[in-house]
Amino acid sequence: MVVPSLSTRCWWLKRDVNKVGVKELEQHISAYYVPQGITFDAYEERTLGQYTLDLPKLTSAKLIEISACVRLNRTKYLCSLQTDEIVQIIDKTIQLWLTPEYPLRKLAETLVPLITGYDAELVRLELKRFLRGFRKKDLYRFLDEEFDNPGLLDNFRPRKSGGFTRAYGPGLIFHVFSGNVPGLPIWSMIMGLLLKSAGIGKTSSSEPLMAALFAQSLAEVDPNLAECLAVLPWKGGSAEVEDLLLEKVDGVIVYGSSQTVEQIKKKVHQAIPVLGYGHKISFAAIGHEALTSDRYQDTVHRLANDISIYDQQSCLSPQVVFVETGGVISPRLFSQLLASELEHYEKRRPRARLTDHEIHAIRSIRNRYEALAISDPEIEVYASKSGTEWTVIYHGEPGFEGSPLNRTVQVYACDNLEDGLGYLRPYRAYLQTVGVAVGPKRLEVLAHQLAEEGVSRITALGQMTLGVSGWHHDARFNLVDLVRFVDIERSAEQLAEIYDPDVE
Amino acid sequence: MRDQSKQIVNDVLGYIQSYSDRDSLSTELDPEFNKLALNIFRFQYERNSPYKLYCQRCRKSPLTVKRWQDIPPIPFQLFKEAALACEPVDEAEAIFMTSGSTNKEKRGCNYHATLEVWDASMVPPFKHYVIPDRDQMTIYVLSPAENVNQNSSLSRYLSIAIKHFGTKDSVLFFDKEAGFDMAGLAAALRRSEAKDEPVLLMGATFAYVHFLDYCREQELTFKLPKDSRVFDTGGLKGQAREVTADELYGWFKEFFGVERELCLNMYGMTELSSQLYDRTIETRARKEQPCFYKIGPAWTRLQVLSPDTLTPVQFGDTGLLAHYDLANWNSAVGILTEDIGYQTVDGFVLLGRTKGSEARGCSIAIDEMLVAQTRR
Repeated sequence: MVVPSLSTRCWWLKRDVNKVGVKELEQHISAYYVPQGITFDAYEERTLGQYTLDLPKLTSAKLIEISACVRLNRTKYLCSLQTDEIVQIIDKTIQLWLTPEYPLRKLAETLVPLITGYDAELVRLELKRFLRGFRKKDLYRFLDEEFDNPGLLDNFRPRKSGGFTRAYGPGLIFHVFSGNVPGLPIWSMIMGLLLKSAGIGKTSSSEPLMAALFAQSLAEVDPNLAECLAVLPWKGGSAEVEDLLLEKVDGVIVYGSSQTVEQIKKKVHQAIPVLGYGHKISFAAIGHEALTSDRYQDTVHRLANDISIYDQQSCLSPQVVFVETGGVISPRLFSQLLASELEHYEKRRPRARLTDHEIHAIRSIRNRYEALAISDPEIEVYASKSGTEWTVIYHGEPGFEGSPLNRTVQVYACDNLEDGLGYLRPYRAYLQTVGVAVGPKRLEVLAHQLAEEGVSRITALGQMTLGVSGWHHDARFNLVDLVRFVDIERSAEQLAEIYDPDVE
Repeated sequence: MRDQSKQIVNDVLGYIQSYSDRDSLSTELDPEFNKLALNIFRFQYERNSPYKLYCQRCRKSPLTVKRWQDIPPIPFQLFKEAALACEPVDEAEAIFMTSGSTNKEKRGCNYHATLEVWDASMVPPFKHYVIPDRDQMTIYVLSPAENVNQNSSLSRYLSIAIKHFGTKDSVLFFDKEAGFDMAGLAAALRRSEAKDEPVLLMGATFAYVHFLDYCREQELTFKLPKDSRVFDTGGLKGQAREVTADELYGWFKEFFGVERELCLNMYGMTELSSQLYDRTIETRARKEQPCFYKIGPAWTRLQVLSPDTLTPVQFGDTGLLAHYDLANWNSAVGILTEDIGYQTVDGFVLLGRTKGSEARGCSIAIDEMLVAQTRR
């Protein structure tokens, strides 16, 4: 593994602890970000090879101090920026990250695999792919997608029906980050900044680093802007730390399990927006058109990619696949080819090390279907031989059952993709992305049918795990749902004219 | 029964009779255990096609398997999907079924062509691990016995315990129509206190939880006579309420006045024909330091397997439990459970049932979804 040289820039190292010797200093990484002047009495350390992550021990009082600080910094600085200026700053920051030699990127590429267990090459590619989605053009797409006139975020702008409107983002947003997809917190942080909101982000212990590094890189581009952000770790749900904070914020964005989202929602008593991105399930639908002799290999390859990226930990990853009969390969043969593609993938980019619970879940579903396969010729289990690295469960009939994740997938054969739709109903509340591989004639019809069943995103097979700028996240908006629209009605405008002493 | 089956049954009965006072840690019996286990494996492989199919999927056959440790343990789920029996199932003397708690339609079945082996396997270890210090005891049974359920291995177990070791004062407190007679049990416990004659309580773990709720409601506590003991089985998982073993043993002390070293948990499964026990009472009877590990009779063995690879873990490491039981001659000699635990030189520790995985973020894993759905 290549370890980046940090000797030239070590300002992100723990700032308030004296260490002897540069070598030792270089190993300490601040896995948090706070405005200047905020200090902590104690830290927890988490060792990762030669690195040590420093995680401050938080109290409620400290968190309130920080929230007041970022809020004040917002008033002093962020509120005065035009949206365009914010876009420029974020773009510049993203450009830093898109430079392979950028020290923080190299640090992330080294540490994120150590923290998450994901394959290093996979992390490198996916982080890059993800961050490219926040360049200037993408940020404008986010804004223009959701606001007819993004200038509304800067000034009162005229309305077609008369009068004026301006959009106000929350003063302070509390972000609850999840740790399943490295870098995902950046999405939420950027949305907050575009709305000129200060932010406090709670990181997940599964991946506490990327949000902190991103805040640090923002500080390189514009220290004053970064002063409006804090990124901190604490144990989610710990009432003594976060309950008071929830009374002080103007908006909440929660990524995590449905339970986490519900818990936070219960604790919010004021009328503020709470966007919750809870549990979701995604699947793939492969038409016979994608299984022609010149196409099927590509189709298998695309699906294997979608399954393998971040080991299905993203809610965008397929857990189930419907495969249509009528192609040159049968759904059963498709499952076998998928199995061998997953085996190749495992050789190139091995799956993360799992917890015992995760392994048990895979073993349990394998045992259950191995047992079924003995008596039912329409069921087969194709699985990695040595361990639980990958599992393909083939069903000769349509159906729908989720997966324990970590490269475990259920394949259902159907004569028509539509046959699978009837099985989606119990999962309606959870359905999200469908990766489709069908011909143009069927796309719209199928999309409509899927939408009726509760699906909110239809994308290409092979692209499932990459959300694009401006998408309707879980069928909703990213920005509009957070802002308050304030109107100056035509009457006020007209009345004001009367009081103009100079009016004739 | 066919001759070949009769021969196997005789071999197993012979082994059980010869070593009824020995246990699963008796390594000096390994060669003999190994020989008989391999015979049974070959017999099951030849006589039961689902068993053979499963072994073939694991690429194991009598030609390649030379040690009992290499006999593929059958996932307990297979008992739900296929008839695992070497003798015709319609000639079985008894069929023991799982409770079907996850799916009432699909219950695992263990077919017993004869109960002779099952009974022979049950009696000596019961004596050895539950009442080593007495010939008989007054037994109070909290869970359905054989008069209520003919298809439950636990029911037969409870009935045989009374038949062989119960005094005439023993009582079954679970009635087919009336259910669990808690008031009757409470009254009987009061009478035992007065008589000052020790009692053995026997039942499923959760039956105790319900009875203790009842005691709390009625404000009842007992000081059961010296040497009284509490036998529970089944564990605390998969019930509506979360109760820990420590809590439960605390309550046994609080409500029954029975000390921890006179409490014993029996580990049994429908899919097995033998039972495994806590060593608490056995070691106490020998005036040794009470040992809380579990152990089985000499005709059982345990392997702890890595859940990832299904190969044995290092001795002492945690993994999935695979039980080998010669008394399971008609179904499958090795059973792969979803229980996790580890081995020590004095026995093994059961840590509990595996739980489903918890996803790290917004992607929902199957188990969580099932939970979410049952809540709705």
